[in-house]
Formats: sequence, C-alpha cells, structure tokens
Amino acid sequence: MIEVVNLQKSYQKLQAVKGISFSVQPGEVYGLLGPNGAGKTTTLRMLATLLKPTGGSAKVAGFDVLRQPLEVRRNLGIVNGGMKVYDKLTGYEVLDFFGSFYDLWGPKLKERIAWAAELLHIEPSVLSKQVRQMSTGMQQKIVIARAILHQPQVLLLDEATAGLDVFARRALLDFVKQYAGLGKTLVYSTHVMSEAEEVCDRVGFIDHGLLVFEGSLQEALELGSGNLERAFIRRLEQAA
Amino acid sequence: MNEILIIARKELLSVVRERRVLFTTLVLPILIMPLLMFGPILLFGNAARQTQESVQKVGVVGVPTVVLEELRKARVEPIEVANPQEAVQNREVQAALVFENGRYIIYGRLSSGATQSALVVEKVQAALRAYKDQVVAEQLRARGIGTDILEPFSVETQDASREQERAAGLFAFLIPFFLVSFIQAGGMPVAVDATAGEKEKGTLEALLAAPVPLIQVLLGKGLAVFVMSLLSTFAAVAGLLLGGGVFRNLFAAQLQAVQNGENQAQLGGALALDPLGYLAILVTAVLFALLIIAIMISLGLYARSFKEAQSYLSPLSLVMLIPLLFLQFSDFLKLQDWYFALPLVNVMLALSAIVKGAATATQLLITWASTLAYGALALYLAYRNFQREDVVFRN
Repeated sequence: MIEVVNLQKSYQKLQAVKGISFSVQPGEVYGLLGPNGAGKTTTLRMLATLLKPTGGSAKVAGFDVLRQPLEVRRNLGIVNGGMKVYDKLTGYEVLDFFGSFYDLWGPKLKERIAWAAELLHIEPSVLSKQVRQMSTGMQQKIVIARAILHQPQVLLLDEATAGLDVFARRALLDFVKQYAGLGKTLVYSTHVMSEAEEVCDRVGFIDHGLLVFEGSLQEALELGSGNLERAFIRRLEQAA
Repeated sequence: MNEILIIARKELLSVVRERRVLFTTLVLPILIMPLLMFGPILLFGNAARQTQESVQKVGVVGVPTVVLEELRKARVEPIEVANPQEAVQNREVQAALVFENGRYIIYGRLSSGATQSALVVEKVQAALRAYKDQVVAEQLRARGIGTDILEPFSVETQDASREQERAAGLFAFLIPFFLVSFIQAGGMPVAVDATAGEKEKGTLEALLAAPVPLIQVLLGKGLAVFVMSLLSTFAAVAGLLLGGGVFRNLFAAQLQAVQNGENQAQLGGALALDPLGYLAILVTAVLFALLIIAIMISLGLYARSFKEAQSYLSPLSLVMLIPLLFLQFSDFLKLQDWYFALPLVNVMLALSAIVKGAATATQLLITWASTLAYGALALYLAYRNFQREDVVFRN
C-alpha cells in the first residue's frame, strides 16, 4: 500500500532525506522512529504530496506521489503534532468543510462524522462548540477526525501525541490499533519509543536522512535485548 | 468551481465569527465616512461663524479713533498694547493693528492654517477695507465725482464644468480615493488571515493535504478577500451617500450657515451619473480589486506570521498615496491616454473622470485592459508563490 524506493529530498545545500526505501502493507502500522531533525516529517510530507521529492519514487495506495498527487491525497490522511484546524469554526463545520472535498455531503457526511466521533471518543455535543473553546486534546481529536473522515487507505501520523494529556494520548493509541484493524495502512512517526512499542508491527530507524534499521518490532526488540529504546540508541551509534 | 466556493465560504465564516474584523471592515466605514466628510466642515464652519458673531480682542498701536470705531463696528475690541507682535504670539490678543507712517500693519498667527487668529485678521482687513472705501468715497464726493467711477464694469465668474462634475464637487476627488483605499483596507484582514494567518496557526498544511488543486485553493481565498473588499467598499460608499444625506438633514441649519458664510466650504457633492457611469465605476473597482487582492495574497503567503504580513501589506496604503498626488494635480496636466495604463494611477484617473462625466471610451478601455493584465500577472505570481515549498513551509 506504501512503496518508497530511494526517496530523497534536498534543499539547496542540505540533504534532508538521503535515499530511503521501505514498504508498508494493509493492516500494518509502520513506526518511523528517529530523533528530531532526522527526516521523519520531510518523508511523511513527501508521501502526502506536500513536498516534492528530489530523487527516488514513492507510491501511496498505488498512486505515484509526483505524477498523481490528487489521487494520493484522496486516499490518504495526515496528522502531525503542529497541525491545527480552524479555531473559529465549530467541530462540525470543520468536518463538513474537509468532508466536502471527498464528496461527503448530507446523510453520508453525518454518518461518517458519527463513525469518526465514536472511534475517537468525541461526544457529539462537543462538535457544536467552536474549536477554540475545546481542550487541546479535543482539538487534536478533531484534527484526526478530519484526516480519517474519508476513511483513507493510508494514514500518516507524525508526532501526533505531542502536547496531549495522558487520556487523549491513550485514546489516540487505541485508535491507531483499531484503525489498522480495519485493514488500513498506517505510518506512525515518533521519537517516543514506548508508543512505537505499543502500536507498531514493523519499525524503521531514521537518522540524518538515512534509514539505519528496518525490521519487525520483534527484531528491533531483540536488537536491544527486549528494549526498543536501547535498540534505537545502539543502532544509531553503530551507524554514526 | 465547487471547491473554490467551499474555501471562500469557510474564509468568510471565519470572518463572520470575528466581530472585531466585521466591525472594522463593515460597520466602521458606514459610521466614519459622514464624520470624515462633514465633521471638519461643520466644526470649522461653526467656529468660523462664532468668530464672526462674537467679539475678539485686537491689539492696537497708534490707530486713529475713527478706525477704532470701524473695528468696534466689525465686532472686535481694540486694546492698546506695547508690543503687538509679542501680544499675538502670547495669545493675549487674536490679532494686532499698527499704524505708522501712513501704513497699517496687521499681525496674526497665520502659519498654521485655519486658525481663529486668521479669521480675526480677516475681520480687521474687512474693517479697514470698509474704512478705505468710505474715505475714497468722501474724497471723490468732495471733488464732485460719483463713486460709480470706482466700478467702471462688473465682473462675473461662471462655472463652465460639466453638470456631473459640478454635482460631484469634492466627490470627484474623494470617490476614487475612498474606493481604492477601502478595497485595500477591507480585504487586508481576510487576506492576512487566509495566508500568513493559516501558516502561523498551523491550519494550512491540513488544507494543502486535501485533494484540491492549488489554484482552486488560491482562487477560493481570493474570492473571500474579494467579497470582503467589495462589501467594505460598498459600506464606505453607502456611508458617504446615505450618511451624508442624514448629516445634511440633521445639521441643515449649520451647514447652510457655513455655506452662506464668508468662508464658504464645499459640502461634499452628489453623484449625478447615468446607469452606464455606475457600471463603469463598478467594472473599474472590480478590476482594481482583482489586482490588489492578488498582490495582498502573494505578499501574505510569503510572510511567516500575521505581524510579518501586516508589515508587508501596510506600505500598500502608502503606495496608494502616490496616485492620489497625481490625481490632485491632474488638472494641471494634459492627460495623455497612456497615463491610463499606469498601475494604480489609471484607476484613480478613470474613477475621477467617470465621476466628472469626462471619461472617454479609449481611456476606460486602456484602464480596464491594463488593470486586468496587471491583475493576471499578480495572480500568476501569487500562484507561483503558493507552489514554492520554501514559501508555504516558511514558518
């Protein structure tokens, strides 16, 4: 469902992503793990067609990110930690706005909003509030609801738990597992190893724009004697 | 097309929820325009009338008794002063009159525009003129000559300008200025919010991840800015026309007094256009709005934050002053058709010409075609900006 081959991104003198390859299958949660500035966000933005790769190729849901950006976006949802939605609109208006880009109207839209709200534990009454009147955790849930409203085949989550309290974080991690259970393809990017350990089936360690390890969660744990964080540090030190 | 409308609707909904923006772009123009137009005139008119009617102190040195009597008749109170210039400077008196060696010297505070002192100086001048006429008449009579020799012929000046131009009065200058200013000022808050605001608040990325071509996102935002620009401009024009009417009724007596007074003030004007004239104003304003909106969106996109966007967009208001200066002195220039191809200047000149009923078809066509071309270029640059990753993710 996601195929990345030698993907690269350069900004003048800086090479942010130096040629990474990985693939993610339906029903799988792939953890893209790395320190700040490793190239995780750039990689996910390329997959979401927000940035254009300067080398290599990537396919999302069978569509090429360079040649078929609109088709990619129709089959993809993306959430990152810094992403926000329009604070002067109500939760319902936000979902109505984004839903309309995916031909979701009337009863179908209502049905999808109810589905997303149930999955993310959003009280229906909250949706009539303006986003600025909601808690940070609830705002993040609206951001996620916006990303899954069209039930995309591929969901990219980039530091999606940043700034969330323990309850909102728990709800998000539960949601990730549930969504993968629907046969969807997820990339979960984080630098919090405990989260990755809980939700990911396979992981890739990225550092300085290079994928320095890729394997199943089990393989990664074995590398760190049962501890993902230790495996991560050990592998990055070996690569340095 | 549908996506453009959806995005425009969202932008406008955000504006509607922001009462401060609604007030400044829609309500304030309606309230402020009549005040701007008639407030100073009324204020100055009243002050001038009061100065005419009340008695002011005037310092005198060596002034003959007969002239002192004339001054009193002109409703000023002569007071002997030692140093007339100093007395005026220190505001002990509003003006001073000195008579020496057969010459009258009047002192007043004249360097700061319309001062009360200047009005009192006029009263003193009028009193001296009346006295002079009286002395001349007496001397002529003593020689057996009639006073009609002083006026061998009469002079009459008539306004030969077009009916629309006469009716427009100050509007010929104000309408272009206000239209251009309000199109820019009315659209600016939305342009900033829809571009740099989205970047700063972190909402742009979610929008760009939706399956909508960039050009449609741009046009949707542009449409919202366009709507707010035009609404704000209509509010300003409505304030000018309707508010002006209300003001005229409420302060009819005061305005009449100002008009009849010695210091006549031009009281705004009225648009006396045929439907084609109004249509021409609308077309010109719409085309100008397209140009200025594309510029504002392009600059707004480039900015990282609200503050940065405002610092880019505020100088636009100053840029508007350049064609305004051109318009002010346009009567001294022989207008060439190519002036109507100059950006901004063309719109001001065309609007002024339409209001005066003096616009030619060639001038209008050049204005519209050139403004459309500039607008298309600005839109293209805005689109190019939107395509640039270093601009969109510049935060």
